[in-house]
Amino acid sequence: MEAELKLTVNGEYYELAIRPGTTLAELLRNELGLVGAKVACSSGACGACTVLLDGKAVKSCLILAPQANGKSVITIEGLEDGGKLHPIQECFIRNQGFQCGYCTSGMILAAKALLDEKPDPSEQEIREAITGHICRCGTYPNIVSSILDAAKVLGGGRGE
Amino acid sequence: MSSGYSVVGKGLPQIDSFDKVTGRVQYAGNIRLPGMLYAKVLRSPHAYAKVVKIDTAKAEELPGVVAVITHKDCPQKEWICPMFTWKGPVMGPVVRHIGDEVAAVAAVDEELAEEAVDLIEVEYEELSPVFDIDEARKLEQTQVRPDTNPQRPTIFKWGNLDRSFKEADFVVETETRFSQQAQAPLDRNACIASWSGDHLTVWTATQSPFWLRSAIAAYFNMPLIKVRVIGTHIGGSFGFWLQNNFMFISILLARKARRPVRLELTREEVFATVKRRETSIDRIRVGARNDGTLTAASYLHLFDNGAYGNKFDPWQVDADLYRVHSGIFETIGISTNLVTAGDMRGVGNVTLGYAIAKTMDMVAEKLDMDPVEFAMKNHIQTGDTLFTSQEITVAKAMFNKNITIKLSSCGLDECLVKGMEAIGWKDKWKGWGKPVKVNGLKRYGIGVGISADMSGVCILGSNGIFVRINPDASVHLIMAVTKYGQGADTALAQIVAEVLGITLEDIVVSAADTDICPPIMGTVGNASMPMVSRAVKAAAEDAKRQVLKLASQKLEVKPDGLDIKGHKVYVKQKPEKWIMLKELLCMPLEESLSEPTIVGSAAEGFPYDQTTKLMIAHFAEVEVDTETGKVKVLKYVAAHDSGKIINPAIARCQVQGAVLMGCGLALTENMVFDEKTGMILNPNFVDYRIPGPLDLPDPEVIFVETIDPCAGAFGAKGLGDAGTCACCPAIANAVHNAIGVRVDPPITPERVLKALGKL
Repeated sequence: MEAELKLTVNGEYYELAIRPGTTLAELLRNELGLVGAKVACSSGACGACTVLLDGKAVKSCLILAPQANGKSVITIEGLEDGGKLHPIQECFIRNQGFQCGYCTSGMILAAKALLDEKPDPSEQEIREAITGHICRCGTYPNIVSSILDAAKVLGGGRGE
Repeated sequence: MSSGYSVVGKGLPQIDSFDKVTGRVQYAGNIRLPGMLYAKVLRSPHAYAKVVKIDTAKAEELPGVVAVITHKDCPQKEWICPMFTWKGPVMGPVVRHIGDEVAAVAAVDEELAEEAVDLIEVEYEELSPVFDIDEARKLEQTQVRPDTNPQRPTIFKWGNLDRSFKEADFVVETETRFSQQAQAPLDRNACIASWSGDHLTVWTATQSPFWLRSAIAAYFNMPLIKVRVIGTHIGGSFGFWLQNNFMFISILLARKARRPVRLELTREEVFATVKRRETSIDRIRVGARNDGTLTAASYLHLFDNGAYGNKFDPWQVDADLYRVHSGIFETIGISTNLVTAGDMRGVGNVTLGYAIAKTMDMVAEKLDMDPVEFAMKNHIQTGDTLFTSQEITVAKAMFNKNITIKLSSCGLDECLVKGMEAIGWKDKWKGWGKPVKVNGLKRYGIGVGISADMSGVCILGSNGIFVRINPDASVHLIMAVTKYGQGADTALAQIVAEVLGITLEDIVVSAADTDICPPIMGTVGNASMPMVSRAVKAAAEDAKRQVLKLASQKLEVKPDGLDIKGHKVYVKQKPEKWIMLKELLCMPLEESLSEPTIVGSAAEGFPYDQTTKLMIAHFAEVEVDTETGKVKVLKYVAAHDSGKIINPAIARCQVQGAVLMGCGLALTENMVFDEKTGMILNPNFVDYRIPGPLDLPDPEVIFVETIDPCAGAFGAKGLGDAGTCACCPAIANAVHNAIGVRVDPPITPERVLKALGKL
């Protein structure tokens, strides 16, 4: 028996029929072809599946799709604006905030959620915000400097 | 025109940066084909057993199940992984570790495939497994595998060992059991296999698409032209995704089903059924004189191949790291009924390397000698013979030839000097038995660890590269170097840009596709920068020669009087005379009445007598809480001699990442096996603790760019694995300085408290 789901993903409104037990990650990847969020552990331990649900960073492998009913989802694919990269994305490139790139979608969205709530975080606060994200390549130093840089850029020169 | 390099030596962004920040990278898990089926595997619950009976009827009858295979569907032979990482049947009548593959199902969706797997009935006859390498070594008959176990020992000997030990004033003897690290890449990978008649295409994350192609072709008895391997982007590998058994299962299912089949491993399967870093037992004796020099060393390195590993040498350099007049290095690969082992970042320089470092630290302690001074006095130097280098064994086996390998450069002294300064060694090292400071229950220590690592090895193979220059002067670099975040594709493209006088933005690197690219060795063992770079530079220079030949007609100057910089071909003696590269390439030729085509190519091996090695000196400062046993790293310095650094930003990031992995091994990472059954008890990210952003300080990275005549293009040596090799020594030695007792990795709070007599 399928359930009907109504939600907005990256600004687009969808009405979908889904099988029970479908996670939000599976919905995004398999039904909508948005493969930027990755399922690496299926247990919420690694953060690679992170998306924004009504602006909050969530582990989409732990969210059942019906929990997103009536809500707004932003995935990494939704950060660009008409082909123009979001400043956070540009900062990650400038600061080489990735190596293999597998955790990067999750890290960037965690950064967005943090900076939307706290535009001028300390380095400690940034590290705490990405604690739920595993980067096996060990790129944490550059990820932190990418987010610090993004805070400066988005703050529009605040504190300088 | 200015001197110095325009592109080489610059910390430019990775060429696939845009794809990485936008989620566009096509990892194997993204690939979908029309009509594709989904596979699941039935795995053995026993560590060692015969498969007496297997009944797949119920599984086959389930609607939506298209194919089921067991060992009866597999060719009755073993498939062999190049570089000795695997030898075994895809599925056999005997299972050799918990999680070993017994049967597999391809169905229209994953849930159905899983349901079908549960319907397969298997009867096992349990055999008596062996998990410990010392125990496995004692066994009279072959155990675990039908051929030799253990492997025949590999032995290197030099000097007169007995005499040299007699000349020693004292001998230090150690036994070390190394812990179990998991590569634990974030990418779970998938293998998608598709047959078109008798032509096979495979998409998967692999560090070695050509080695995989060879293994498949040999196993299925197919001509190489009928096997196409497309190596996808990889979300981390560290030696994990090379040629893996699950790929062959996907291929067999696809052949039986006559439809594409996708087999994706679960996180638990990735942890428990593929491979891990090998554990080892090292028994070491070192003879030293009271003047601080070493007379003799005896290194016995027993290492675990697991169920299907086939190595007779762990790959290492550290048995040559310290100069001794006489020595013996004996190493034996031993099979056990645990998951296959081998190939993890740093290989023997991590395992054996730690045991040697610990022993040498004890020698320095007995001499009451500053450990940095001891390292400087005793480490290998440029021009020294490397008695234990792997090429020696292979030359003897292949050609019955005795070869000599010498160290071509060694920047270790400068690494030690710069590293000392960065960590503040002179102020902090107070002497043996004296911590840096004590503050109540907290004790502070400082430690140094040195290591060496391979800089590629000629045995890995030769490399083919194409450089295609388009009419608009943009370039396709056609090479099957694989992409797992190490940035070799970017650095090698920088070399092409430098030679051709263009920018990195002008270059696109091809996919690692065995149908499109010339053959290349696996992207392993720090080989891209010293070895592949030579072929890349040669191919770019070949393309450049063709361009200059064209230009010489237009500019009316001989080709050797021309060069290319800033997209312009110019006359060296008269730089104001030039032509734009893209203008040149669009000009039709009089003789053919059409535009030229420029394809540079090269295919190069690597002479065995041009062996470079990487040198590593790491320093750690730690705080040990003697009440909780917790070790906190306060400061970490990593000094590396990797020759000329082609891209400092990528290189720094690689070392920092490797240090994090090495510190994880030193402090928190350990795969735990049940002693009775061999089952892995922590096959997940919660119970297997990988360091996070709050756990370790950002390592300070120092590069010492020695000039090495044997190095790769522009003087590059390798880099990627090296940062893991000296972490355990640096941290363990720092902990010893803090608390006065030695604790082997993983240096967990429990182990520290036990060492302090508190548990």
